[in-house]
Amino acid sequence: MATPSTAPGYLPSALRVFDLSVGEMLWSRRTIFMALIVGAPVLIAIVLRLLDALGAPVFQVNGMQVAGPTVFGMMIWFFYLRFTVPVLGVFYGTSLIADEVEDKTITYLFTRPVPKGAVLLGKYLAYMACTVFVVLPSVVIVYLCVVPMRGSLGGSFLDLLKDLTLLVIGLAVYGAVFAVIGARFKRPLLVGLIFIFGWEQVALAFPGYLKRFTVAYYLQALVPHAMPNDNIVSMIQSFFRENPSLPEALFWLFAIMLGFLWIAAVSVERKEYVLEQ
Amino acid sequence: MTKRTRYFMAVSAGIVVVGLGSGLVAYYGGGFPSLSASRSGPSELSYVPADSAVVAFANVREVMDSQLRQRIKQAFPDERGQQEFQEHTGIDIERDIDYVVAAMTTPGAGGLKNNPNGLVVARGRFNVTQLETLAREHGGVVEEYKGKRLVKGSDGDRAHSVALAFLEPGLVGIGSEAAIKSAIDAQLTAHSITANNEMMELITDIDAGNNAWAVGRFDAIANQANLPAEVASRIPPIKTFAVMTHIDGGLSGTLRAETRDDQSGENLRQVVQGLLALGRMSNDPKATALLNSLQLSGSGRTVSLAFSVPSEVFDLLPGIRKEIGGGHLPEQLPKELKQLHESK
Repeated sequence: MATPSTAPGYLPSALRVFDLSVGEMLWSRRTIFMALIVGAPVLIAIVLRLLDALGAPVFQVNGMQVAGPTVFGMMIWFFYLRFTVPVLGVFYGTSLIADEVEDKTITYLFTRPVPKGAVLLGKYLAYMACTVFVVLPSVVIVYLCVVPMRGSLGGSFLDLLKDLTLLVIGLAVYGAVFAVIGARFKRPLLVGLIFIFGWEQVALAFPGYLKRFTVAYYLQALVPHAMPNDNIVSMIQSFFRENPSLPEALFWLFAIMLGFLWIAAVSVERKEYVLEQ
Repeated sequence: MTKRTRYFMAVSAGIVVVGLGSGLVAYYGGGFPSLSASRSGPSELSYVPADSAVVAFANVREVMDSQLRQRIKQAFPDERGQQEFQEHTGIDIERDIDYVVAAMTTPGAGGLKNNPNGLVVARGRFNVTQLETLAREHGGVVEEYKGKRLVKGSDGDRAHSVALAFLEPGLVGIGSEAAIKSAIDAQLTAHSITANNEMMELITDIDAGNNAWAVGRFDAIANQANLPAEVASRIPPIKTFAVMTHIDGGLSGTLRAETRDDQSGENLRQVVQGLLALGRMSNDPKATALLNSLQLSGSGRTVSLAFSVPSEVFDLLPGIRKEIGGGHLPEQLPKELKQLHESK
């Protein structure tokens, strides 16, 4: 008599889902969008390097020369921290479960003998692998192209390490937050976009405690570069800016990530997904 | 996971590893900065040690040829400092030097506790034989250090004795023996100020039109100034400073300070604004004219004070006034100065 097979544990199940999802996620149409987002700063960095080599005054701002490390810091703020990380978090995080629901394939996943929460965790790990393996090389290429212009690679090395770390943390935290939105809301993408381009921007621009309910507040405290004041909103934000300490920022970022991942997993476990016919 | 996915991840990880590896080698070796080359500032910065707290530059030729210098020279013909320097070193500042780069390393570095280590690197035309002979006549000793000729004083204090080094054809270094040796080491190991991002960012921010400038960490000069504790505790925490000036007929330039945070920047702006307002309350037209030439600006952590002293203001200096006969009043003179002139 054959012995009944036991269901795999939570973590092996999550890793199995990760293995299945990572390729699917990486070679999807969404990757073209991600390539465009992370490719733009790389392209700009290469063009800047070429123009600088040809002697064009590309690094002159108001008649003053700007060093490569400063430009690198500005690119980290503009391209990665304010745009790439939250946007990738929204697009991938909200789709972890929503895509399966939309494609009506969630039934196949949920009929497997794996905990439902492990499905979400596996997909979240796949999201992290996809984004980290695309965003980090992009940052490194920008660093290698931009920093040596009137700066030194060695001098900015520690900043690079901090940048890479904070971007990974940012992707992890935003991914967890939007995984909850994806698991609970009907139009998760819209809600996610309102969160990053509406709520976070407004909350950061007001004095008081509101900013503590954003991810950007804690994430921006880790940035080693000076915050640029490029527009009215960022000027107001910098005016009311108050940085939490490093341990406080790290504590809250990890708390948000773990808390939201748990909420997302519980939501997936409990929610009845009704597929539209 | 498909093979295609694995390849993608391997290539991606490879790029990150190459980038981090390059950064790590550059961070520990200090070799990459010279290849990646800072093209800001004069090439002589390669002789300035990486831990220098203050770096300064002066285009001696332009300053010496300036109208302002000529007028001061005419006004004070008995000034002998330049001549004394020539008698001691054999270098005629007016004729032999094109420009100088000066630096002060962190006090306490190299075992010189509480003593700044000064270094001046001068580019110009120098007669090596004549300079060496003169040094020997004054009891100097000539020795070699890593292929460079060093002329140093005969007194025993190695760290404090002044030394002269022939760094390259047309380039001499003057300073304490320790400072000269660390300058030679900095150039040979490529671990110079060009590898110091903080200082290089300050240097690259210097406008091209200035013929004299100085940048550095504020704590280094504040420690040397021996300010009373009461005063020192009231100064907002300034991190770095930059002074740049253009000397021609008059004197114009900018004094820029970077504070530790935005709040300190705001405090410093308020302190300077208060001082300017206080100065304007005085009835001294000369002071008012000078204060009116100051322009306070900046945002965030940056505080900038631009100044422009027209040549006419210098006409009011006692020596120059005598020289021009206390006569005509230039048309462009500010009204405060006209009042002052008329009152005398």
